Amino acid sequence: MTHKRGVLLSMAAALAIMPVAAAWADPAAGGADYKKLEQKYQVLQKQMATMAKQMSAMQKQQAALKAQQAKTSPTNTKAIDREVKRLYRRVVKASQKISELEPGNIQVLIAGDVNFQFQNMQGSHSTFYADSSPMIQVRIDKKIFINTAFDFYTQAGEAGGSAADIGAANINYELNNYMTLGGGLVTSPIGGIVGVYNPAPWNRWLVDGSLEDALLPANELGVWTRGGIPAPDSMGYLTYFLFVSDGPALARTTDQNGATYNNLQFGNWDPAAQNGKTIGGRFSYLPIPNVEIGYSFEWARPSADGAITTTNSLINAVDFNSYYVNKKIDGLFRFRGGWTWDQVGQGIDSTGTFSLGGMSNGGQLEVAYQPSLCGIKYLDRVMAAFRYDRIDGPASSNFSNGAAHEQRYSIGLDYWLHSNAVLKFEYQFDNLSNNRHGNNAMFLQFAVGI
Amino acid sequence: MTFITYKMTKSLTLTAAALGLFLLAGCAANKPTKTATATSKPAVWPLTFKDPATTESGAQIWAENCMRCHELRSPSQYTPAQWGIIVQYMRLRAGLTGTQAKKVLAFLQSASAH
Repeated sequence: MTHKRGVLLSMAAALAIMPVAAAWADPAAGGADYKKLEQKYQVLQKQMATMAKQMSAMQKQQAALKAQQAKTSPTNTKAIDREVKRLYRRVVKASQKISELEPGNIQVLIAGDVNFQFQNMQGSHSTFYADSSPMIQVRIDKKIFINTAFDFYTQAGEAGGSAADIGAANINYELNNYMTLGGGLVTSPIGGIVGVYNPAPWNRWLVDGSLEDALLPANELGVWTRGGIPAPDSMGYLTYFLFVSDGPALARTTDQNGATYNNLQFGNWDPAAQNGKTIGGRFSYLPIPNVEIGYSFEWARPSADGAITTTNSLINAVDFNSYYVNKKIDGLFRFRGGWTWDQVGQGIDSTGTFSLGGMSNGGQLEVAYQPSLCGIKYLDRVMAAFRYDRIDGPASSNFSNGAAHEQRYSIGLDYWLHSNAVLKFEYQFDNLSNNRHGNNAMFLQFAVGI
Repeated sequence: MTFITYKMTKSLTLTAAALGLFLLAGCAANKPTKTATATSKPAVWPLTFKDPATTESGAQIWAENCMRCHELRSPSQYTPAQWGIIVQYMRLRAGLTGTQAKKVLAFLQSASAH
């Protein structure tokens, strides 16, 4: 830029002196005029020389400045960046303090869900059922969060009546970016599908719960830590949920052959029926955000009415959850599955050592498809769902409706009125072992998430 | 019965080993490290831990993670203040990092306000 400027100035000066030089070179111009012109030329020449010197000095000065700037600029930039960051942190802290002092900074939200359904099961009278599960969520500040959930339900028929239950009552503290501590009553993460992916009716693709649910705790009453961390070298993401809680008890029954059978019973939290606490948790790995693979476990020393003192129980569960959205399939495809196996060890009571029934298994596979991107009105809100689920108790047990094994095939059709409001239809084909007839069932449900 | 007890002991040992490894990984994730840079190279010790929130937008985190378990709720269904409570709750449910939750919240509050 400076070089161009110098060239331009030189050209301008040259143009200015050209007429003078031309006149000087013309002999016909005359003596007096010639002297005047010569003097004028010399003055201009001196001026031009001065300008050239000044230009040269300026160029040197500019080059020196550039060199100096190149040496000092990175340091200055870093120092300025540091100062800006420091000031930014102070501003953020100050604004946080101000917002905490602002009246009404404790925020409360009522959420939850409501649903009603109709069910007609073989061998039973058809019934209506209504359920309201409000949640009160309180944000004390950016780190402390309280969640309380209730469950009010009523049903006609043989199992009729109304009842109220508490689903959650917990306080959570965000320790850092990767970890939260909590205590109280919380939805159990064991099994994943029940406790993590679809706890609310509006969020389930089918109306009826899975058979696997019978092997899993619905809630944990205790303390826990949970959170998520990135997997090493950007190879996905990990989540964890570890807890210590009051554990399951043993429900002892006698089957038609007179054999004693015990299975884990959750949710009564009777201290007299417990021996020690439960340790459990769930880990999951997400190689990509739309695929999650989980493993969970719960170890306890349960007893029946405090009579059994040396029993161990261990619940293991694996689960996976995935979805795929693409125009190529005109919508959304979901795929979930899980398998739970629990083991109950031997026990000792006043009669001596005896077997508690061994091992139980259960699992499910669920698929659903919604042509949400097909562009056809109404059809894009329809979801078709299918589930296969089963449960296997110890051979001598009356585990499920008098049978040791039960498996079901369920088909469902949902219509999504809204992202949180769904009408569902489900038909269930039920098969039992021990030559017993399964109870096929039909369900209709309208569920709304608040 | 001895067989069951043996199987349980073996299962517990494996579980404890997995838990230990997991906790070690968690501790490492909390340590600031000079090598924590964006890379997709094969795993080479020392391993690096990079929060996905450093490269992903709030909208992307919202869409990818929320969709995993339920239909996406429109940002306009709640006020910016209500989203503050919901995201704090869903951070727990989904196992998000604090940074991810902040980005999702910023997106939802911005979309809700408009």
